[in-house]
Amino acid sequence: MMKQSNCRKKKRMLLMRFFLTSILFFGGYVYSTAQNQKTQVTGVITSKSDNLSLPGVSVIDVSDSRNGVNADFDGRYTINVNSGTTTLRFTMIGYKPVEVKVNNRTAINVAMDLDISTLEEVVVVGYGTQKKRKVIGAIDQVNSQAFEGRPSVNATQALQGKAPSLIIQQNNSEPGAGLNINIRGISTLGNNTPLIVIDGIVGGDINALNPADIESVSVLKDAGSAAIYGSRANNGVVLITTKKGSKGKPLSVQFSSLVGYNNPFYFTKPVHGYENAMLRNEAAYNSGVDNAVFTSDQIAALKAKGDTEWFAEEIVKPALQLNQNVSVSGGSENSTYLVSLGYLDQESNFVGPKKGMQRYNFRINLTNEYGKFKLTSVLAYSKQKITDHSSSTGTLMVDAFRVPLYYTQKDEDGNYLTNDVLQQFNSLGILEQGGFRKYDNDDVFGALTAEYKLTSFLKLKGVFGGRLWNGSMYSRTKQVDFLPQGVYGADRDTNDESRKSLDLNTQFLVEFNKSFAGIHNVGAMIGVTNENHSDRGIGIYKKFTDPDLGTPTTETVIGDNSYNSNASSGKNSLNSLLGRVTYDYNDKYFAEFNFRYDGSSKFRKEIRWGFFPSATLGYALTKENFMEGYRDKVGNIKLKSSYGVLGNQNVPNFQYLTSYFTFQNAYGFNNSGVSGTGYNFANADLTWEKAATLNLGLEADFFKGALSFSFDYFNKVTRDILTKPRVPGVFGTSLPDFNNAEVQNRGWDLTATYRHKGKFLNQSLTINIGDSKNKVLRYSDGNENLTGVEELQVLTRVGLPFNSYVGLKRDGYFQNWEEIQGAAVPNGLNVQPGDNRYVDANKDGKIDDNDKFIFGNPFPRYTFGATYTADYKNFDVSIFIQGVGKRTMMIRGELVEPFHYNYGMTMYTHQLDYWTPQNPDARYPRLANNGTQSNTNNFRNGSDMYLYDGAYARLKNVQFGYSLPANAAEKLGMSRFRMYVSGQNLLTLSKVKFVDPELSEFNNSMGPSGANSGRAYPTQAYYGMGIDISF
Amino acid sequence: MKMKNILKQIKFIPIVLLLLVSCEDLDLVPENVFTDANYWSSVSKAQTFLNTAYSQMENSSRFFYNEALSDNAYNGRGDNQGAASIAAGIYDPSLGRLKSEWNERYGGIKTCNLIIENIDRVPNADPAVIARMKAEARFLRAFQHFQLTTWFGDIPLLKKDPSLQEAKTITRTPHAEVVEFILDELDAVMPLLPKNTQLAEAERGRITVGAAAALKARVLLYESRWEDVIETTEDFMAMTYGQYSLFPSYEGLFEAKNEYNSEDILSLQYVPIDRMWGEFFDMAPISAGARLNALAPTQELVDSYLMLNGKRINESGSGYNENNPYINRDPRLTGTVVYDQYNWKEADGSSHIISIKPGVSPGNPDEYVQGSSATSTGYYTRKYYDVQHLTSLNSGLNLMLFRYADILLMYAEAKNELGQMNSTVWDQTIKALRTRAGFTDAAALSFNSSLNQLALQEIIRNERRTEFGMEGLRIFDIRRWKIAEDVLNGYAHGAKFGSSSVDNGYLRVNLRTFDPDKHYLWPVPRDERLINTNLSQNPNW
Repeated sequence: MMKQSNCRKKKRMLLMRFFLTSILFFGGYVYSTAQNQKTQVTGVITSKSDNLSLPGVSVIDVSDSRNGVNADFDGRYTINVNSGTTTLRFTMIGYKPVEVKVNNRTAINVAMDLDISTLEEVVVVGYGTQKKRKVIGAIDQVNSQAFEGRPSVNATQALQGKAPSLIIQQNNSEPGAGLNINIRGISTLGNNTPLIVIDGIVGGDINALNPADIESVSVLKDAGSAAIYGSRANNGVVLITTKKGSKGKPLSVQFSSLVGYNNPFYFTKPVHGYENAMLRNEAAYNSGVDNAVFTSDQIAALKAKGDTEWFAEEIVKPALQLNQNVSVSGGSENSTYLVSLGYLDQESNFVGPKKGMQRYNFRINLTNEYGKFKLTSVLAYSKQKITDHSSSTGTLMVDAFRVPLYYTQKDEDGNYLTNDVLQQFNSLGILEQGGFRKYDNDDVFGALTAEYKLTSFLKLKGVFGGRLWNGSMYSRTKQVDFLPQGVYGADRDTNDESRKSLDLNTQFLVEFNKSFAGIHNVGAMIGVTNENHSDRGIGIYKKFTDPDLGTPTTETVIGDNSYNSNASSGKNSLNSLLGRVTYDYNDKYFAEFNFRYDGSSKFRKEIRWGFFPSATLGYALTKENFMEGYRDKVGNIKLKSSYGVLGNQNVPNFQYLTSYFTFQNAYGFNNSGVSGTGYNFANADLTWEKAATLNLGLEADFFKGALSFSFDYFNKVTRDILTKPRVPGVFGTSLPDFNNAEVQNRGWDLTATYRHKGKFLNQSLTINIGDSKNKVLRYSDGNENLTGVEELQVLTRVGLPFNSYVGLKRDGYFQNWEEIQGAAVPNGLNVQPGDNRYVDANKDGKIDDNDKFIFGNPFPRYTFGATYTADYKNFDVSIFIQGVGKRTMMIRGELVEPFHYNYGMTMYTHQLDYWTPQNPDARYPRLANNGTQSNTNNFRNGSDMYLYDGAYARLKNVQFGYSLPANAAEKLGMSRFRMYVSGQNLLTLSKVKFVDPELSEFNNSMGPSGANSGRAYPTQAYYGMGIDISF
Repeated sequence: MKMKNILKQIKFIPIVLLLLVSCEDLDLVPENVFTDANYWSSVSKAQTFLNTAYSQMENSSRFFYNEALSDNAYNGRGDNQGAASIAAGIYDPSLGRLKSEWNERYGGIKTCNLIIENIDRVPNADPAVIARMKAEARFLRAFQHFQLTTWFGDIPLLKKDPSLQEAKTITRTPHAEVVEFILDELDAVMPLLPKNTQLAEAERGRITVGAAAALKARVLLYESRWEDVIETTEDFMAMTYGQYSLFPSYEGLFEAKNEYNSEDILSLQYVPIDRMWGEFFDMAPISAGARLNALAPTQELVDSYLMLNGKRINESGSGYNENNPYINRDPRLTGTVVYDQYNWKEADGSSHIISIKPGVSPGNPDEYVQGSSATSTGYYTRKYYDVQHLTSLNSGLNLMLFRYADILLMYAEAKNELGQMNSTVWDQTIKALRTRAGFTDAAALSFNSSLNQLALQEIIRNERRTEFGMEGLRIFDIRRWKIAEDVLNGYAHGAKFGSSSVDNGYLRVNLRTFDPDKHYLWPVPRDERLINTNLSQNPNW
């Protein structure tokens, strides 16, 4: 333990040294421009608005533009000028430039005034930027402050709750687990993941980013803003822009470190061991078994002995998480730079040899201007190393979850024990000795943008960028012997996988921007792009390798699932023509037209091109003269509307081709394997999904901008949705996606921000909330689709939301034998008092398929987030709450059914509310063994018993910080020093108490995720502390 | 003027840029798959297609768990292959097993039809080779239709590969017509198939004329076409379809070292390491390396084994002792079922005692404990336990679909149904099987001419039950004998480990219900009828 931490310390020292070296290097570069001159001028620069000193202002001798300095942290500057008659130019981003004649003075103090026009926020839009006041699309922009101080391990997590209708759901709390990300709900029946664009390049990995590197995130929600991404914009677009240095700013160093613990906890608790023994007896007795499972002596002994540690708690422990970032940035008149390094170490909660994720991020963002030419280069490298156990987390969890509190996992001699519930292996043994999976991924992302100003209004832009990803997996399964029986990893697998992928992106754009007569502002952009992706991978799977080294031995065999790179390769390409025309009349009337014309390799030649246009109108109502009074007294109002068509091409490569593939060991003759041929039938007419989207929006602010408010309504109809057609079994094979469904998705979202600036106390509150509701309008040849999802079924039917839950409806319990006489029951079952009674919807005297009801659907509605920040003198606090207002959540397996299929052998405290004659209104039916008719009636007939109210509100993050006063920090050589404590997932309010309501039972394609049973990884409560330092 | 020039320039920019960018081709081709245009190029490619059709014939899970559909076994953990639900009579048309049986068999039929329709495209092939491969595909197609019609009655009959539209509108062909198609096909392909004696060693496991004749006999048997059964089985016993005989050791018949023996007519092919089955992981005694027990023989099966003197246990003079029930029994019991104090043998000659009775050897993993992971009935399975198994009891042992003993018992049954059972037939069939099983008592071996046809019917049916115990055939016999309402109603039992007040101490393991008006045919799967409204449903579903 000691050794390990020393080792880490050493590593950190090395990192520090590297940084200091880089700082010196850049420092030298910046300061080398200072020169010795004759006359010295000094002074202090302050801000007019608050009379505080302004650090970092650039001061230039106009007579010699190479002669310039930057003001220090107190706004003090010293410059040597050639002559006493020259002029000094003071510039600072966000302030109006000031020019002052020296007139032989040696001390010149300057007060600078805020420049509203340059201060104005710039919003990143597709293939460009727009000033916020000119934005008329439905775009939410989240800025870097939203991510600060939160122990987010990736950018997706950091975005949760930060923008309305940007729905981020977890289906697993395990470190490194993916998150569902979705904009404005379900509008297609397949994958609903939005398009991610990083620094203008499609194809980057949002989770490889260092959240600290993010400057802003734009969420493009409507067709008006997203149509420029054409055939992939149907699910919305997330544009991420990374930080850059600022022009004319001296070198600054930011250091932040956040360290804390992820503490696992379960919402579920098993009952006491002896209690469980009694419950087993009760279930057996209720099942007509007359000999007890546990004798009263045994129960007394269990009670006297007390509970053993729950296996599920024994296999997880609090784990360290460290987030560290250093960045160096600055800029001169013509160039900016930012170099950053991030380190994340997220330990796994699982016991045993150290597991978890480490990520190193390195980034250089540079801009250089040479007259009319501007070059922006972004280069980011991310290395991700994950060490995992060799099993599957769901299995490890559920095995540990299902064991009653009278067994132990390990004896005093260190043997791992199996028992009557876990006959084969236990999770502790696998975690401690069962081997590992190691992932090592390198991700290089780069973008080079060259801009050339042809004239003052015409600009050429070329972008070349992409991502090179190389990932490998090396795994070993080691043999663990259990007592009295069971062996794990007897095959002694040693496996390797390696994959390389390349995404390339080329863009040529022409931009036009001109104001005519000062009131007609015209912008236009046209461009062509190609995006292509290719990947190849190999895999080697060996069995019976050497137990120590994993090397081949005499009995080693190479598995027939090993593959060469030709068997695992993919390619696709997209050629596009795109453009935008914007017009506004004096910032009052706005119009915008966007289009994209896409050709995709995923479709047959004749039908591979698609056109995706959008039109947007905006009206700044308060710019009208007659609204002047309102504007001055109340605030601004802007109305927006857009309509357009977006596309989706989320299908695998080559799906339009019927193909035949061969595989080994399909069958055997004379005891040797022979290969077989499989086939994939194709739909040659596969084409784009097309979504017609209407957006109506309103922006308003009050109290001079202190309260701002934005509301959008949308209505989207997606046609030609790609879904698997319903193919009868008689056809003999499944078919790939067809364009055969239509879904409407309607909803709204709202953001409100209130900022209050007081003398000492500053506060702000941002609330966002969104809702969407989808409805299937057409579904493959007018039919519907009913799919079983574990105990229940989901229905896709015209007129209903996608994947609505379907099942029997409970009508209390049969309370006595009289009620059972002649009652409608499923499949002629013999039920008993205390068993579920179901509603016989069609009153035909039996319970069957025709009695099924349609219940809610699992997609979250009224998703909300609220962020409150306040600072008082040197103290600051931030509180972030996030949640879902309405959701039907399916919970299943051992979490609902006692002794689930005899796989689980413990009950949980929430299940104690079961039917007995004394508890006739219980939540759950009476206890009965698996396989009995009662058990079949109660648990094998999917009913609303499995559905729960999934609404919740969660105190997601709380931060409390203290910053040293400026002068104190300065004494320590810093411009800013803040320390804080941060906590995550501290409190959850929900109706359902025994599971984490945030976990979704569905993934981003609405496929089952398995999070709604005992397979779920425990929820993490995080407690940590951090420092932010700027030099 | 200047502006105009610039505009002129602009016009060309997109065109120039388009040229630069569109160098990336959109006509990409996959590297790892063939297309329909270039697949059928050689006999070996056609053969791999045919291998797929073989692999779809049957799977090991259905092979074993079908036994739990009958009164011979109980699926006490999970609902493997729907066995627990179907046996208990608590299922509806949405049960997964119905859909998987239906879909997978039609999947197999599709593979066969694609071979039959495309194999002639293979250039420069030996016509005899192509003819034989086509015959194999037709056999497999007939086999799949036979399974389907046995479960579902009337079914869509696919003589050719259907279009999607056809598949969505097809109607059910009457059972009798399906059977005629199967029989016609088998007659047609028999001349094209080799005999087992003509099979090269490397081809062992491929379909022979003997396999086709055995399937034909079984189809006829299930139709109770006794004369036809006799004709086919007599030809078979006259070695018209190849050389077959009973393997001398009943126990050895199911061992890996005796694969491809003289009794094996057609078996599912498995290969150590490369293609294995692992059902014994949930069937063998726990102490023999199983993980748990999900499939266990019932007391009803155990009770069906005769005493060594040829009497049923409940017959007077049988010598059966309820407190020492496993001695002096038909040796096939020991070859099939693991009972308390069973002497379990391993490959290296070692053995250990399986102690199941509660309280005898407390804490041992095989012990019957109510609701535990051990056996739910007090019994485990021995037949097909592979002493050469690999990890997790995975085995490459072949599983026999047709064996010569079946030909003999089909013959015996048909003869008796026509009132033609006599000592000659008896000696050829029942006596031969009992002798092979290890009976020596003349009372068990010789024909009892005093028995009437009904008594003999019971003996032959019981002989079938014990000879093929745990081989997945019992449920089909129950259905064709129409005895399900008797044997699949009420409790299935386990060993006498319970309290004597209930069912004499025999464990009640599963309450079963069977409705003769409904359960003799499986319902057409719900999903199938939702897509194709032309599909009718079986009565009372």
